Amino acid sequence: MGVPFEALLPYGIIVGLFTFTGVTLGKLRRMQNGGKTARHSIDQWDRQMMDRDRRITGYLRGQSDRPEAPPGFEVNSPWRLEKRFT
Amino acid sequence: MAARAARFNQQVLIDTTPLPDSIPKVKEIGATSAPLLSAAFFIGARCKPYNDDYMMCKTEANGRGELECMKEGRRVTRCAASVIADVNTHCLSEFRKHWMCLENWNQQLWQCRRFERDLNKCVFENLKLEKVIPGAPADEIPVHLRKRQIYAHSYANM
Repeated sequence: MGVPFEALLPYGIIVGLFTFTGVTLGKLRRMQNGGKTARHSIDQWDRQMMDRDRRITGYLRGQSDRPEAPPGFEVNSPWRLEKRFT
Repeated sequence: MAARAARFNQQVLIDTTPLPDSIPKVKEIGATSAPLLSAAFFIGARCKPYNDDYMMCKTEANGRGELECMKEGRRVTRCAASVIADVNTHCLSEFRKHWMCLENWNQQLWQCRRFERDLNKCVFENLKLEKVIPGAPADEIPVHLRKRQIYAHSYANM
């Protein structure tokens, strides 16, 4: 006789649960990144450019290809403040 | 002009006072990181003298470059904005495809050579700007012209 399918059901459940977790986490990460793949291996330059993107478009992964910036861009650069250690 | 990057910063201060009227106004570039990366070599091709001027001014200013090199900086901004405006008028669809591809691949240029070839062709025909990698050895084919990209993940975009 062939392989009984009841024996393979638990494996099927395990694989199915892993697949579900993987696909859900992948979709969540895509949603967090505006429908694109996540950035990885970002260095200080990339962080600075992504900060600039957020200042221009409002979203961390938002992009725009206008030659001129929106009106508030010249003045919305942040000064990062540190607390004093006394 | 901070001497070092801020560590453990919890607060951010946004000072909305604009620059004084004695400084001539120039519109900042509105392109974000991916379109700028896509157009970077064309900006370099057209704006090389202004960019070199600015870099030399900053190097010679010994730390006061942010204040003293504003005139050269305005020239750089205007030239780069002109390149982006020209690319938008002539090659908008190829430009958009290229930077959208870059956004999906972690802004790595070698993953999107297919769209880059179309963009380079369109920009060369309309704007006469050619992408040249400065400092590349002259006896090898430059990376962006090679047929096979050894690090690309997808064969479709090579």
